[in-house]
Amino acid sequence: MRALIIDDSAVMRKVVERALRQSGIDFTEVLQASNGEEALEALRGDAANKLNLIVSDINMPVMDGLQFLETRRDQNLAPGVPVVMITTEGSEPFVLRAIAAGARGYICKPFTAEQVKERVIPLLGAA
Amino acid sequence: MPLKIEYNDWAGRLDSSVSAVFETMLARSCSPTEKMGGIVQPVSAKILFSGAIDGEFVLYASRSVAQVTAEALLGQVAGADDPMIEDAMGELCNMIAGDWKSKLETEQATCAISSPMVSKIDGGAEGLTSGDGFHRFYSFEGNVFGVQMAL
Repeated sequence: MRALIIDDSAVMRKVVERALRQSGIDFTEVLQASNGEEALEALRGDAANKLNLIVSDINMPVMDGLQFLETRRDQNLAPGVPVVMITTEGSEPFVLRAIAAGARGYICKPFTAEQVKERVIPLLGAA
Repeated sequence: MPLKIEYNDWAGRLDSSVSAVFETMLARSCSPTEKMGGIVQPVSAKILFSGAIDGEFVLYASRSVAQVTAEALLGQVAGADDPMIEDAMGELCNMIAGDWKSKLETEQATCAISSPMVSKIDGGAEGLTSGDGFHRFYSFEGNVFGVQMAL
């Protein structure tokens, strides 16, 4: 399995990667991007064909997670790869906009590795 | 017009949010304490609220406390000059402020929060914050840090 983690914080990318690896799923490669624009560039390249999962923050400079979702949908980039949002923005307008733009899961910070596992495993099973 | 938050509501929600973030993300118990001693080489992280609530949320600590906190979050040792220390303070600030916001009434919880802004200050903590708003201090394993909110 291969995942892409999008977060402007290197600390959070490490924390999320650790949670993914604790899920029991064998991630052979975990790619990283620090904002939505970097992630879109990765999806326009070879990464799109290799990914099984994308995990994204919302509040990021350059391009935030919601803009990333909407651009990815509009440009039909890696359409079959499930996206899970991990963010501090848990209010209803953010959740609804993320789901409308194609997010398949939504986890609010702070989060446990168990919560990540519960959201991610069903998505990978259906992928 | 931005809404106002009463102190009792503010403090109770903040205590709950700090505790939740530390227990969930750092596997540490963290509780309010009366005061903190001198702050050496302070590291501070600030989040701005806008919309239904206007204001700022600042998390600050001595660099040594920030380093211990970063190590607990990362689960690995950080060097004294590791930029992960500032990054971790910013993320903790973000998570505590976000959790606090999520406990507000529906209308207030629609406020926007900015990305964290982190700064290092040489010397003492004078001038670290504006002095306005509420201050509250917390301790985990003897490490004390402060939170200031101005709403």
